[in-house]
Parts: sequence; structure tokens; C-alpha cells
Amino acid sequence: MLCTPNRFTWQLRGWALLSALLILVGALLKRWGLDPGSLRGVVALLPVVPMVGYFLALTRWVRSLDEMQRLIQFEALLIQFGVTALAVMGYGVLAEAGAVPNPPVGDLWPGIWLLLFVSWSLGQAIVRRRYR
Amino acid sequence: MTNRLRVLRAEREWSQGDLALRLRVSRQTVNAIETGKYDPSLPLAFTIARLFEQPIEAIFSPDGGPDA
Repeated sequence: MLCTPNRFTWQLRGWALLSALLILVGALLKRWGLDPGSLRGVVALLPVVPMVGYFLALTRWVRSLDEMQRLIQFEALLIQFGVTALAVMGYGVLAEAGAVPNPPVGDLWPGIWLLLFVSWSLGQAIVRRRYR
Repeated sequence: MTNRLRVLRAEREWSQGDLALRLRVSRQTVNAIETGKYDPSLPLAFTIARLFEQPIEAIFSPDGGPDA
């Protein structure tokens, strides 16, 4: 019962959707030249605000799980941490060595976020198999 | 650790979902405990013992029997 979507998982989706919408709004304002220079930083940071809600909802969701589901999430997050840390470190040293392009962080963060969620899902799939 | 959860549940004709609801855990957790893939914490083991009105040692025993 606790693994089915509950109010926290709906909150997670809501906050993520709001953040994505604000990224889109910011990009459109920039494209249309409607972001005044003095507010550029504020507009750019707007999508970060819902992510605070996202992580609070994530904490509440994990606390709503039973003990085994919490253990699964803990181990999945360890896998996520390991995969992401190794990938970022690996790419970073390769970029420093000039072996791969060295784009600014502003171009890299969407890829890092994608990696975070893919490796978390992968981690959950791996750990769940052990308890099946 | 081995346990008699599946037998006790069957005696009461409860599904894994029924037991999960009574224990306030997920059905996957009940299944993992029954198949020995997950050992419950002491508080959860006490909850299970209370639910089946039996002492913990009558439900759970260490691998290799009660003297192991």
C-alpha cells in the first residue's frame, strides 16, 4: 500500500512540473527580450524555488515508507550517488585533459539532473530485485 | 532467520495485502519477510507477534533451528 502513489508522490510531480514550467517561462521571456537585466537573476532562479518543495516532499515521501522500502530507497540513493559522482568526476578529469569538450556548468546541469534520476531509477530496479 | 508468517497468514485466510494493511507495511515487505529475503526490525517483529497473539520466538527462529 505504501509503494503506490500517495499524496507525497503527487506533490513530487507537482513541484517538478512547476519547476519545468518556470524554466520554460524563463526561456520564453529571454527569447522575447522581456527579462529586464536587473531581474535576470531572479527569473533564472525561479525554477529552483519549487525544487525546495520537491525535496521537502521527497523527504516526507521517504518517511511515509515502511522500513524495507526505506532501506531500498537508501541503497538506491547510494547507487545514484556512486554513479553520478563517478560520471561527473570522470567527465571532469577528461575535460581538464582536453579529451572531451569542456562546456560551462550552465550547459551541463540538465544532463547531470537526468543522470541523477536515471541512476536513481536504475538503483531502485537493482535493489528491488534482491527483495523480490 | 526463518519464520512461520506464511503459515499463520494462511490459517487466517488472509492475503499478503490483508496482512500488509494490518501491519501498515507494503505487500512487497510482507512477501520479502515470508520468503526470508528481509528480516523485520524488532518493533515490526513485535507488531507481527501481537497481531498473531504469539510470542516472537514462536514465529521467528534463527537459521538452522531454535538452537542455532
